[in-house]
Amino acid sequence: MMRKILIGALMAVTLAAAGDAAGQFFPYQIQKRTLPNGLDVLVIETPEFKDVVNVNTLILAGSRNEVEKGRSGLAHLFEHIAFRHRYEDPANSYDTRIEKMGAFDNAWTWFDVTYYHPVTFSSNLRDLIALQAERFVAMEFSERIYRTEAGAVLGEYRRNASDPGLRMDEVLIDLAYGPKHGYGHTTMGYLADVEDMPNSYRSGKAFYETWYRPNNAVVLVTGDVKADEVFRLVEEHYGKWKPGKVPSLPKAGAINGPKRGHVEWEADVPPRIVYAHLVPAFDPGSTEGAVLALLPELIAGRTAPLYQELRYQKQIATEMAVSRMSAEGFDARLLETYVRLDKEKFDAQGRTLFSETEQALDRGFSELKNFSRRPDAQTTLEALKSRYRYDLLSSLNSPANIASTVAWYYRFERDPKVLDTLVTAVERLTTQDIDAFASRYFTPANKALVTMAHKGAAR
Amino acid sequence: MRGLAPAFLLILFAGCAIAPTQPATQPMQTTQTPTAPTAATGPADVTLVTVDSPSPLVTVRMMVKAGSSSDPIGKEGLARVTAESLIQGGFGPDGAVVTKERLAEITQPWGEEAMPAVLHSADTTTIRFVVPRDVLDRYIATVLRPMLTAPRFDQSEIERIRTETAARISAARFEDLENLGLAAIDEYVNEGTRYQHQTWGTDQGLGAIGRDDVVAFFQSFYRPGNIILGVSSSNGAVTGAVADTVRAMNAAAPQALQAPQQAPATRFAGRHAVVIDVPNAPAAGVHIGFPFDLDRNDADFWALYVANTWFGTHRDSFGRLYQAIRQERGYNYGNYSYLEHWNGRTSNLFQVFNQPRRQQYFSIWLRPVAHEYAYPMMKAATWELQRMVDQGLSDAQVASAKNKAKVLYVNMGETIDRLLAARVDDAFYGASGGFLENYLANIDRVTTAEVNAALRKYLQTANLKYLVATDSQHAEALAAQIRAGAPAFGKSLQEYQLEQVKLADGKVVWQIPDEKVEMLRVDALWAHYPLNISTVRVVPVTSIFRTGQFIEESR
Repeated sequence: MMRKILIGALMAVTLAAAGDAAGQFFPYQIQKRTLPNGLDVLVIETPEFKDVVNVNTLILAGSRNEVEKGRSGLAHLFEHIAFRHRYEDPANSYDTRIEKMGAFDNAWTWFDVTYYHPVTFSSNLRDLIALQAERFVAMEFSERIYRTEAGAVLGEYRRNASDPGLRMDEVLIDLAYGPKHGYGHTTMGYLADVEDMPNSYRSGKAFYETWYRPNNAVVLVTGDVKADEVFRLVEEHYGKWKPGKVPSLPKAGAINGPKRGHVEWEADVPPRIVYAHLVPAFDPGSTEGAVLALLPELIAGRTAPLYQELRYQKQIATEMAVSRMSAEGFDARLLETYVRLDKEKFDAQGRTLFSETEQALDRGFSELKNFSRRPDAQTTLEALKSRYRYDLLSSLNSPANIASTVAWYYRFERDPKVLDTLVTAVERLTTQDIDAFASRYFTPANKALVTMAHKGAAR
Repeated sequence: MRGLAPAFLLILFAGCAIAPTQPATQPMQTTQTPTAPTAATGPADVTLVTVDSPSPLVTVRMMVKAGSSSDPIGKEGLARVTAESLIQGGFGPDGAVVTKERLAEITQPWGEEAMPAVLHSADTTTIRFVVPRDVLDRYIATVLRPMLTAPRFDQSEIERIRTETAARISAARFEDLENLGLAAIDEYVNEGTRYQHQTWGTDQGLGAIGRDDVVAFFQSFYRPGNIILGVSSSNGAVTGAVADTVRAMNAAAPQALQAPQQAPATRFAGRHAVVIDVPNAPAAGVHIGFPFDLDRNDADFWALYVANTWFGTHRDSFGRLYQAIRQERGYNYGNYSYLEHWNGRTSNLFQVFNQPRRQQYFSIWLRPVAHEYAYPMMKAATWELQRMVDQGLSDAQVASAKNKAKVLYVNMGETIDRLLAARVDDAFYGASGGFLENYLANIDRVTTAEVNAALRKYLQTANLKYLVATDSQHAEALAAQIRAGAPAFGKSLQEYQLEQVKLADGKVVWQIPDEKVEMLRVDALWAHYPLNISTVRVVPVTSIFRTGQFIEESR
């Protein structure tokens, strides 16, 4: 979902700055204004990336906000629709104007947010801000265009559906959240809903009118720009965007696990397990948030005992990974561990390999409750902190990547200092904090898992 | 912080400093030491490529000029297994062995990218890592030098890597329809050449690889004269330390394997198709390609680059293919075309560098469409290609494509690491002008006449290979449809959401809005375009990636 990040240039700046100003991690000044309509505007001047500008719009709504029955997938469909603004007027359509300007334009949808991130030369700043504002303030799209785009989304679903991972996700989050919570379906939506999307025009419009509001959005501009000029242009063009009442959403309940699901796959693929625990809504300054930041490496990093057991010693797993960002949500998310099992072992052993793996995972997660008693606990924790810092710094290597990293974390508390807050919380962590987190969340009642195997596989 | 805005970043975006219509005037500050023997009779030296960067982090890209095309016949996958086991197979002397677990511990505090990672490709293998400069000496002493000069290639690690690679093959067949199609068209177009298997090798090839093969491959190809070394530093002490380490690698080792003679691309006449039967394919992926003699050094490269930007910009809505098939008609998620082969197209919005090839092919990638539309879309894409070649592009189309191509630069050159990677490719191609450094200027110079001449010279539709990955229920039917060669429409008027109205005389007619008339006219041209495909084979997905042949003979 977020772009793969490459190490690069800005590391120089960030490290030097971090050294210069003790306690401050993020090397750039984030300038912020909130318009009377509630729109937060953030500007990060990065003049060293000469003549480039990113005008990003973060809508604080994603698939979690799809609570109308039979209408999952609207946030993602809407991301598509936003590129079809005035499409039937080719001379003035959004995409014609983007092309004429010369911009690279894309967007992504996640459970919590939708992020639009065009980039162009900064000589186009005024035009790009005007065009972005136009589509968000008063999007124009006909039912015909809506239907055509719904067809493209079905194509995207088909494209993703060849990977059993999508189906496993669908089963897992349905187990954990059920259909009433927006986290209970993927950002693609349920297949039946996606198939029926051409008929969802009215719901789509309502989704836009409810959630695409200035008080539910952030505009984030990075690049070779002057903040004053950006503020002036954003006020001029976004100022007329009417605020709205942002409805509250259902809260995630307990899993009441352990819960298990299974996917039978048509093709003869290597089996997989996705193993998950519900973790708290993300708070960047909290101890629990900081533990979450380090957990993926602690569980599935190459030095992790559990990883080494499954991948190297028992050689049950051919791949193993934990997704960090996917666990960072407005509401309680799942911390998911993906394991791909060795097919030959599975073919020989059958489904007992699933239970063997689950037991190993249970044991590995449980051992984290006593993490502080490991002889190497302190050195491991310090190595993880150092690594986290380097990795976060390395993500700040271009204006686009600076913006997406800031946007991802800013959304939680709307605090421009959020990256400093996050790093400070990680620096403060003690080995006992890991124990406490594991004891609280890595429990059977808080667990859900899904297995997947070829339908003809041995039982 | 403001005061620290470093010069290298100004250089990085020097091209962007100029408005899109002006050429870049300030080249990158890079240096390149061409391959040169250290002594008249000595072994060839490392080719060193640098990008100036005051960053406290050093990025290293060590490109070995050998990849899967150097796999011995019957041992496909050897290049990959060698590179992976160089890193994971342990290194260093007895008593101080750095196992893969120890390597993870050593590199952990320095960030994820301090762990060496390999980019596998057909003609190259590139090992990349990023190290804080203040620990570079330690990194060289504890990791890089023992890895390159004292690898252990532990037998059990080789076994594990082989098993995991075999699992990848299985996943490639059944779990990712798009990458399956992209891999298969590569093999099909290059059938009969060294490119007809993927870097992950084949079931048979992996099974035949032993430790001796790995050692022989390493000693034969991981030699200083066969290395392009990219380092993100212009500091001689830094680049020298890394280069000297690489120079110590296999300097005097026996060279058991020889780089294979590069077979010229197999030319074929006419149009041919392979339909891959994938049991659970939820849709049909359509791929088209043919080999051609064009690389970044050719004078025509940039003209064709502009044309290809117009036709099929990767992962962008700009291209004609995308516009026609996705945007106007909603068949699928996207449609693109390529002048160069590269892996990672499904997950990267921009070209991933360090996969250069000595022989390239032109290709079209239609993302999955509903099974029943595969045949109409084969026609559509071919017609569109034919039309572009026949009619050429107008001045306005060339201007807008040039504008688009320049915008791509904003992302393609957005980090020092990408600039370094591009420089390494330049050294591989022996390019006189750097790909990214001169990108904007090269685009600017292209004229409409050059675009249209290049289109006629390099692109054609007479000799094409089509590859469709579809499900078991549709594979034979599709083949029959291809053989019959009848006209075939894709979406119906209902599917286009057009409406019928009843006239005063009671007749019911379709109501076609003006803006849809041209689309429907082109639909008819697509539908009636004759494909005349002379051979069609339907093969089960299990018959590919099995042996060194594209399709296992006995199947």
